Amino acid sequence: MTLVLDQVSKSFGGLAALSDISFKVNDGEIVGIIGPNGAGKTTLFNLITGIFPPTEGKISYHGKNLLGLRPYKVTALGLARTFQNIRLFGHMSPLDNVMVGAHCRTKAGVWRGLWRTPAQRKEEKSTRERAQALLQLVGIENDTDSPAGSLPYGQQRRLEIARALATEPELILLDEPAAGMNESETQDLRLLIKKIQMMGKTVVLIEHDMNLVMNVCDRLVVINFGQKIAEGTPAEIQKNPLVIEAYLGREEA
Amino acid sequence: MDIILNQYYLQIVIFVLVNAILGVSIYMTLSTGQLSLGNAGFMSIGAYTCAILTVKAGFPVYLAIPIGGAAASFISLIIGYPALRLTGIYLAIATLGFGEVVRVIILNLKITNGALGISGIPTLGTKISKMLSSFGLSRFGGLTAQQTSNLLVLVVLIFILAFLVFFCTRLNRSRVGRAFASIKADESAAEAMGINTTYYKLLAFALGAFIAGMAGGLSAHLTFFIGPKDFAYHRTVEILSFAVLGGSDLIIGPIVGALLLTMLPELLRSASEYRLMIYGALMVIMMAFRPQGLISKETVRFWKRKLGRRINQ
Ligand SMILES: Nc1ncnc2c1ncn2[C@@H]1O[C@H](COP(=O)(O)OP(=O)(O)OP(=O)(O)O)[C@@H](O)[C@H]1O
Ligand SMILES: [Mg+2]
Repeated sequence: MTLVLDQVSKSFGGLAALSDISFKVNDGEIVGIIGPNGAGKTTLFNLITGIFPPTEGKISYHGKNLLGLRPYKVTALGLARTFQNIRLFGHMSPLDNVMVGAHCRTKAGVWRGLWRTPAQRKEEKSTRERAQALLQLVGIENDTDSPAGSLPYGQQRRLEIARALATEPELILLDEPAAGMNESETQDLRLLIKKIQMMGKTVVLIEHDMNLVMNVCDRLVVINFGQKIAEGTPAEIQKNPLVIEAYLGREEA
Repeated sequence: MDIILNQYYLQIVIFVLVNAILGVSIYMTLSTGQLSLGNAGFMSIGAYTCAILTVKAGFPVYLAIPIGGAAASFISLIIGYPALRLTGIYLAIATLGFGEVVRVIILNLKITNGALGISGIPTLGTKISKMLSSFGLSRFGGLTAQQTSNLLVLVVLIFILAFLVFFCTRLNRSRVGRAFASIKADESAAEAMGINTTYYKLLAFALGAFIAGMAGGLSAHLTFFIGPKDFAYHRTVEILSFAVLGGSDLIIGPIVGALLLTMLPELLRSASEYRLMIYGALMVIMMAFRPQGLISKETVRFWKRKLGRRINQ
């Protein structure tokens, strides 16, 4: 078992955003987290990555307790994420954005950077090459001098994935990566997610695009009003009456 | 030649250089997006440490100045750890308060001579001339001893500033510089991407304090006298306005800001009654019409393109 959530709850003031959520993610799986708007999906990612602590419950990764760890430490442990509302370093180049991701796997400090020691130059070169390879992987040309913030929307989403991959995660958390993408971009994204799995990484995916979710995920967790209402394979979830009600019930209302 | 070596002009150029160094100090802390108004405080710690060491303990200047910087840096780590939890305006207020606390402490300590300040500080110029004459070099061409020492001070200051510019440009294109820039862009995203934001904010804060402390030590050895009034909050505002006028995106920004704002009062000396007014108006105009300062990355990109096109034609 890779990631284990055990009876996790989170409330903001009086509002219970999540209650009693338990599930597991296994090594190498692609697990989808779905649910209507405001269900608490992003909150779940924020809890896992240490943005804020759960009100109750436990979260562990490979047996190691994640609670109380600052986000950068969680990243160092091998969990990386993207953001639903894109949060690139807008004024920096796409390449620099990805190179920032490599920070926790590199070492050169002020002194080495100042004197450009052979070790620093070697590290810088390999960081740049890996970053370029990641940009290529997600399909962004690297000749752009323009800042990351001025890239088209779909590319910004993919750049976030490249930046997260640069941290060399074992598990990557993608928060609505297909949001705002057109059909062909979503197709490319599906292939990219499969590739990431092929690279031996575990993927947790929050997504509203049902076509993508059903096609790419091995397993799904469904959240509604902060509660887990179902868990299973895409085929099982599609038949689950509770899920159908959660989704269709809203349309009727 | 006489004009260049004119005592008055040299003095102004020296002030420009010291202020430019102070500009670099605020650039440093701003490079992680932290608005610190403690630079005058750090400057005074550096100035007093340095002056006390040379006047009372007989330390050589070239040792006392970096020790002054280190003292400021050390204090910055102590106050930085709690203060850097604050952001934006709250950090600004806390560090401004820190500067005032330092001033009041200096005012009340025996070793700093309270309100009287420390006088009889050996000037950098005479120190350097002495050092050179001990090597058998006393005069260059037809220059007077005064001119020689002033020129030497100039060379030392230019060297320090050039090194700082070199330091910052190298840093910017390194792993640490990228970490700084990412924190400036989006602190919590940077943290989520694996950057220990507390560490890097503290690092930038301490480096900025070191530079300010060194500038303090230098200025103590340029003016013969220092008192607590020299480092009151108007000094902080002055340092900040270098960055406001010049811009803080690129290191050249605050340096140009320091240059303009140090020259301006001298140029306006005839209209001295209105000096502060014009100065203030300039700040307001900048804030309203060009909050990024005179020089930003876009400015540089724009001129590069423009000049590039002209060359291609
Ligand atoms: N930092 C916060 N402070 C207060 N309330 C919050 C905070 N973060 C989320 N919430 C609330 O928690 C609930 C769940 O929000 P969350 O963003 O996790 O939903 P979501 O499932 O990601 O929705 P969407 O599909 O729209 O992204 C919402 O009611 C939201 O307003
Ligand atoms: Mg969300």
